[in-house]
Amino acid sequence: MPRWIEKSHMISRMRFWLTLFTVSLFTISGALAQDAGATRADWPHYGGTQFSWRYSALDQINTSNVKALTPVWLFQTGDYAENLQTTPIVENGVMYLITARARVFALDAATGREIWKYAYPEPPRSVPGFVGNRGLAIGDGKVFFGTKNNDMVALDQKTGRLLWRVNIDDARQCGCNITAAPLVVKDKVIVGGTGGDGAHRGYITAFSTKNGRLAWRWYVIPGPGEKGNETWKGDSWRFGGGAPWLTGSYDPALNLVYWGTGNAAADFYDADRVPAGADKSKDINLYTASVVALDADTGKLRWHYQEIHDDQWDWDSAYEVLVMDREVRGRMRQVLVHMNKSGITSVLDRVTGELLGVFSIPEVQTWISGITEDGKLVGRVEPQLGKTTTVCPTAAGAKSWNSMAYSPRTGFIYVPVNELCEDITPNNAPPEEGQSYMNGAFPIKLAPGRTTYSHVDAWDPITGKLAWKVPYKYVLLASMLATAGDLVFTGNPEGEFYALDAKSGNKLWSYQTGAGHRGGSASYSVNGRQYIATSTGWHVSVVGGAAMGLFPDQDWRLGSTLVVFALPEPSR
Amino acid sequence: MRCFAMKLFAAAFLLAVSCWAQSPIKRGEQVFAKSCATGYCHGVRGASSGAPRLAGRGFNQAYIINVVMRGIPGTGMASFATTLSRPDLVAVVAYVAMLNGVADPKIGSDGDDAPASTGPKFTGEAARGARLFTEAVRSFGRCSTCHEVDGFGVSVAQPISQVPASVAALKALATPDVKTGTTDNESMPVLMLSDGRQGTLFYDLTSAPPVERNAQPGSVKFTDGSTWRHSSVIEAYNDAELDAILTYLRAAIKP
Repeated sequence: MPRWIEKSHMISRMRFWLTLFTVSLFTISGALAQDAGATRADWPHYGGTQFSWRYSALDQINTSNVKALTPVWLFQTGDYAENLQTTPIVENGVMYLITARARVFALDAATGREIWKYAYPEPPRSVPGFVGNRGLAIGDGKVFFGTKNNDMVALDQKTGRLLWRVNIDDARQCGCNITAAPLVVKDKVIVGGTGGDGAHRGYITAFSTKNGRLAWRWYVIPGPGEKGNETWKGDSWRFGGGAPWLTGSYDPALNLVYWGTGNAAADFYDADRVPAGADKSKDINLYTASVVALDADTGKLRWHYQEIHDDQWDWDSAYEVLVMDREVRGRMRQVLVHMNKSGITSVLDRVTGELLGVFSIPEVQTWISGITEDGKLVGRVEPQLGKTTTVCPTAAGAKSWNSMAYSPRTGFIYVPVNELCEDITPNNAPPEEGQSYMNGAFPIKLAPGRTTYSHVDAWDPITGKLAWKVPYKYVLLASMLATAGDLVFTGNPEGEFYALDAKSGNKLWSYQTGAGHRGGSASYSVNGRQYIATSTGWHVSVVGGAAMGLFPDQDWRLGSTLVVFALPEPSR
Repeated sequence: MRCFAMKLFAAAFLLAVSCWAQSPIKRGEQVFAKSCATGYCHGVRGASSGAPRLAGRGFNQAYIINVVMRGIPGTGMASFATTLSRPDLVAVVAYVAMLNGVADPKIGSDGDDAPASTGPKFTGEAARGARLFTEAVRSFGRCSTCHEVDGFGVSVAQPISQVPASVAALKALATPDVKTGTTDNESMPVLMLSDGRQGTLFYDLTSAPPVERNAQPGSVKFTDGSTWRHSSVIEAYNDAELDAILTYLRAAIKP
């Protein structure tokens, strides 16, 4: 055989193996993404796994036996004034819990017995911002959390002893706080902040888990000379908002971190931030109102997808990002699913950011007349200076910050949806650093002509079709939990915690916990026994307060108690 | 009981104010901006955001005190009786009264009720220096990453008591407090906070921002001197900017 033929033969053989390897790698990573989004005995992350499904593969508690579910222990944090918004974290039978004022507890996850506690020194009252904390993170033998005065703190996971803390920003200047759970990726802990409704420039910051040293920072808004800065008028980029105030997701196979960014500031008035003659069917005020993919090691932007060009309604794309592999039009795709406050839900190729599908969730939607298949908004109703414009849904969110859940068994996302409207009256006040820069009044009201104002929905994100919905009289502001027992759990402001059949939406079980639900739930197991844990306690500031104003005859109870359920143990 | 507390507050309202040097209206404006104008609430100068407008509503002072102290049950309006300090409560009530055209928001007889001076605190070069000192665009390269002056910044370093006479003096600044900390695997510039049986607390100055670390007692060895230089952390500022910052510090820091 001539040498060149032999060589080409070898190359083609190499190609064959390489192709096979690549295909199998993709299949394996596909299989992993189908599987890796589920939690098992542990509930290691804010969103369950870093794919943010809020789905447990445990099925001991299921549709056939959930009627017997009963509380087995509860934990009163004592920090009741501002409620419990956290999603508990569980690893190796130990639960980690953080309260509104950043009191951290390690508990025996089977009994609720306290193992250690750490009370973060409360910042002075003069520090601006809301008191609240949505969760902590674990990794590298440490427990990580952010604080109202923007400290990133690391505790020893075994003892609760303080290891390091680093200040990210002066809340008195930036008007920003950390309320979200951090995301631990390999040797880094990554966190976003609030402040996007003020004159502030949002960012995501990563620190070394080992010693707290800065690893990288990514500004949502590019500075002068950086690509994207040209989408801002004058120096409006300095105070243009966009704060990524919730928790992102991570795909280890691509080494990409996914995060949603907030809307631009000023929220309801765009004349000072949008360049003259800008085309509203194209990117404006980058990278606000977007989903972004960042390299986990460097924080460099890989791609972006702006959901709302010139968001003038506070639709705030800062919400959770669900990472999954699904067949789209006959082809297996690596996708992500993301919803913003408008209820518009985008399905993107998470390798490239390409839009694969889009649909809208709320029943009452007046701010647009529709959205095209390629994501273009039709019939935008823009707030105008000197006028009052009524739009539905509202800045409180067709869904609020609390997370949806996803079950790979049904293929549905489970979403709490609110049907509200608001009257937006913009103003053109100039920005003052760290001060409110919403530039508009937007009193929230009930959507007209209805008797129920919220519902739990099940949607197939790939077909964009609604599978079922369960209406509810008031609003729903707690996160969802899905399990392999084909159950979906959530709670309502009246204190009821309940389970729905994941396939049909039929209510199968409920329990009155005594205080309103505004937090997250988790499922885990210890010694083979499955538990369902939920945070309870209503919240009166921001959206919780606005909601209470809508139903003056209601008195939803505050609190800060974790309630844990399981099936009764067989009697001995 | 509540009613009594309310009367007590009204009395304290008049009393507390007379003790102040700072204009309560100005203070009230600051408290309002931080506690009432935020997020979805009452908006800048009470113009309304998500919650009702407060400016020009014809509220009298007694009503404002009542609402601030008790909140409005069943709405998002919480009681601020325990979340704000007494002087802040007094100030914010006076401010909201002013927004409602109360010409004499009973806040003492020492002239405090005169309209607040709306002029900026610093002018000219000092104002420019103040801006540079805390400028957000500089990220962790700004002075306020380690120094708290005039209520802004993180007090990693001891409060500045002596302002260097010149830019040259600033660049030559000696930092004897910065030592070298050595552990089993690394050596770093540190600022000691405390060394006790519970642990050794220090700032790790290896990179900005400084990290407060808590090491096991005896696990870090400290030696005098360091390769760390103040001049290298202020490198991002040019001489004219540093000069403006010094002008600001002279205006802000009273010996």
